[in-house]
Amino acid sequence: MKRIMINASKCDGCKNCTVACMQAHRETPGTIYDLDLTDIHNESRNHIEKMPDGSYRPIFCRHCDLPECVMSCMSGALTKDETTGIVSYDEKKCGSCFMCVMNCPYGVLKADTATHTKVIKCDFCLQDNSEPNCVKACPKNAIYVEEVAL
Amino acid sequence: MNQCYGCNTCKSADKPLENYIRSLPVETSHHRVEGQSTKCGFGLQGVCCRLCSNGPCRITPNAPRGICGANADTIVTRNFLRAVASGSGCYIHIVENTALNLKKTAQAKGKLKGLQSLNHLAEIFGITDEDIYVKAEKVADAVLEDLYKPEYVSANLVEKIAYAPRVKRWKELGIMPGGAKAEVFKGVVKCSTNLNSDPVDMLTDCLKLGISTGVYGLTLTNLLNDVLLGQPELRLAPVGLRVIDPDYINIMITGHQHTIFVDLQERLISDEAKAKAQAAGAKGFKLVGCTCVGQDLQLRGAHYTEVFDGHAGNNYTSEAILATGAIDVVLSEFNCTLPGIEPICDELKIKQICLDDVAKKSNAELMQFSFENRAEQSEIIIDKIIAAYKERRGAVPMNLFEEHGNDCTLTGVSEGSLKDFLGGKWTPLIELIVSGEIKGIAGVVGCSNLTAGGHDVLSVELTKELIAKDILVFTAGCSSGGIENCGLMTPEAAKLAGPKLRTVCEKLNIPPVLNFGPCLAIGRLEIVATEIAKELGVDLPELPLVLSAAQWLEEQALADGCFGLALGLPLHLGLPPFITGSKTAVKVMTKDMKELTGGQVIINGDAKETAIILEKIIEEKRNHLHI
Repeated sequence: MKRIMINASKCDGCKNCTVACMQAHRETPGTIYDLDLTDIHNESRNHIEKMPDGSYRPIFCRHCDLPECVMSCMSGALTKDETTGIVSYDEKKCGSCFMCVMNCPYGVLKADTATHTKVIKCDFCLQDNSEPNCVKACPKNAIYVEEVAL
Repeated sequence: MNQCYGCNTCKSADKPLENYIRSLPVETSHHRVEGQSTKCGFGLQGVCCRLCSNGPCRITPNAPRGICGANADTIVTRNFLRAVASGSGCYIHIVENTALNLKKTAQAKGKLKGLQSLNHLAEIFGITDEDIYVKAEKVADAVLEDLYKPEYVSANLVEKIAYAPRVKRWKELGIMPGGAKAEVFKGVVKCSTNLNSDPVDMLTDCLKLGISTGVYGLTLTNLLNDVLLGQPELRLAPVGLRVIDPDYINIMITGHQHTIFVDLQERLISDEAKAKAQAAGAKGFKLVGCTCVGQDLQLRGAHYTEVFDGHAGNNYTSEAILATGAIDVVLSEFNCTLPGIEPICDELKIKQICLDDVAKKSNAELMQFSFENRAEQSEIIIDKIIAAYKERRGAVPMNLFEEHGNDCTLTGVSEGSLKDFLGGKWTPLIELIVSGEIKGIAGVVGCSNLTAGGHDVLSVELTKELIAKDILVFTAGCSSGGIENCGLMTPEAAKLAGPKLRTVCEKLNIPPVLNFGPCLAIGRLEIVATEIAKELGVDLPELPLVLSAAQWLEEQALADGCFGLALGLPLHLGLPPFITGSKTAVKVMTKDMKELTGGQVIINGDAKETAIILEKIIEEKRNHLHI
């Protein structure tokens, strides 16, 4: 399976990954130029945290081998694909209990800001049939895709 | 040589040039596009603010305001005003030096090549002296006086130069500028930390800066240049890398301040200079045009047939021109002198001399132009050029590209030469427009960049689309350099035009794209438009005329653009000017502006779509005029 790997020492906190994720998952069509950066509906599935020492930590979904989110999901909305390794989220099945948010060891999952009824979850940009957009947007290669054993 | 330097160059509308650059053993801007392809989304939208130590602040859904509280509208318009003020400052610097050079030339009773332009200006300014030198000095003084007025004192010449209905509207909107330099000053004060936060107020200032940029930096620079350097005359000239003749000592000139070269140009073709060149083994000296100063020299080429070889290319062709190995010296005095030429000059032992410290290149020798010492300076420069020639020729490889470009590009188009061509009146052009033989006019102006599809890609594609729709295209700026090298300004290009425009072009033996020269000549387009509007008795926004700065590059282009908007013209841009993060700025520029000045910004990166949009606007204007 492919996994987004993180080399935090290379991260400058530019948030290009964040904007790329917002653009990739926006509801309305358009370009990066007209992406509404103030619209809470345009949420990023990743974020950057600043550490006390001034360094940055890119926080990305790990599509874990033993995903706590999947294990804690009672409605079956979160599933792990045994072939691809991708942990997917089905909004229609979600009961909005947010146990996944509580259990995510990386703190990456969150309820959507606008309605608090669904989970904001990385989908590996499978719809685009290419590398995740965050990875493509990183100017420092602080995030990159690597093939890992399942 | 001939090793591939990465094979990752960007596209160019000029395919032979693209292939040439790809084969070069040196790195150029075209090679660096890929490495810079990841752009910052906040920067693209203009919502990154680094005006204070709390920043940089960026706008996100979780952080819709900067630490100071500035929202996207404030951040975007502050950044935009800052860019426009800076761009205006560049043009005002050019007109200031031009006026000073005219004044000093008049005082020294030097050569004034364009007396017709002098008389024209004197008439507009109300100067009645007979003596041409007194007249020229007073004309220069009138311009300088205005430039140096405070911002709160109305500039004198705006009303005299600009079209009356426009002035009326500008007064209604309260955007008549004061002193042009002071307007720049006020602009940069306004957009500093924790001062203005009102997006509409700042955009209003952009329009004011647009007017002072246009009237002084563009229109008047052209006319003052005409007095000193001679009025443009229509002629066919070679363009592209083919103009470089290795038998001569070649001087590539870059910048925008043509009057700085007056003395040197004359001296380079003096017998003494020629003798020096011949002693060094060359036939003589040639100036090779690059960027707008080359474009301006090309425009006036009829007066400089001996010293000027022709225009080789625009800003993003400069590295290729140097890579031919046949350029011995770069003389620069302003932008667009790319920093990227420096390593190439080092590698190929090309001497760089800079004549104005505002454009001092890091490894150039600075010789600040001084009118008083011009003769002495020219001699020193000539000796340095000879020394550079001797040191490098034979020691560096030649990589000429003699097939590049074409031999018969129509140049020398100006408001004067075009009118003369039409028999001294605009009626023939107006009749062609009224009858629909020419659907309308599009000014494809401004710069060249590498990111709107590649080098000149959008400009050239859009131009082709427009002429195919029977829309006559005027160019001014680095767009001219790209479009001419692609052959669209040769009379044969008529076959690319729509059937009606083609017939007109073939009858008159002119190309469907008319080359007005440098970006400064956007001011000439405005004169043409104004004179046509006057004849028709309408205001500028009513004309079937559109502007496109398809591949705008820099801050000066944004100031030009604001002039276009103040004139009330539709203005297309291939890439947004870092404003889309502000809903207010977008609304004002793309919608509200129609009510304010009559202008509007259209942003579109696709040539076909843009041509359809611009054609529709032209048709609407035609309908409005009942033609």
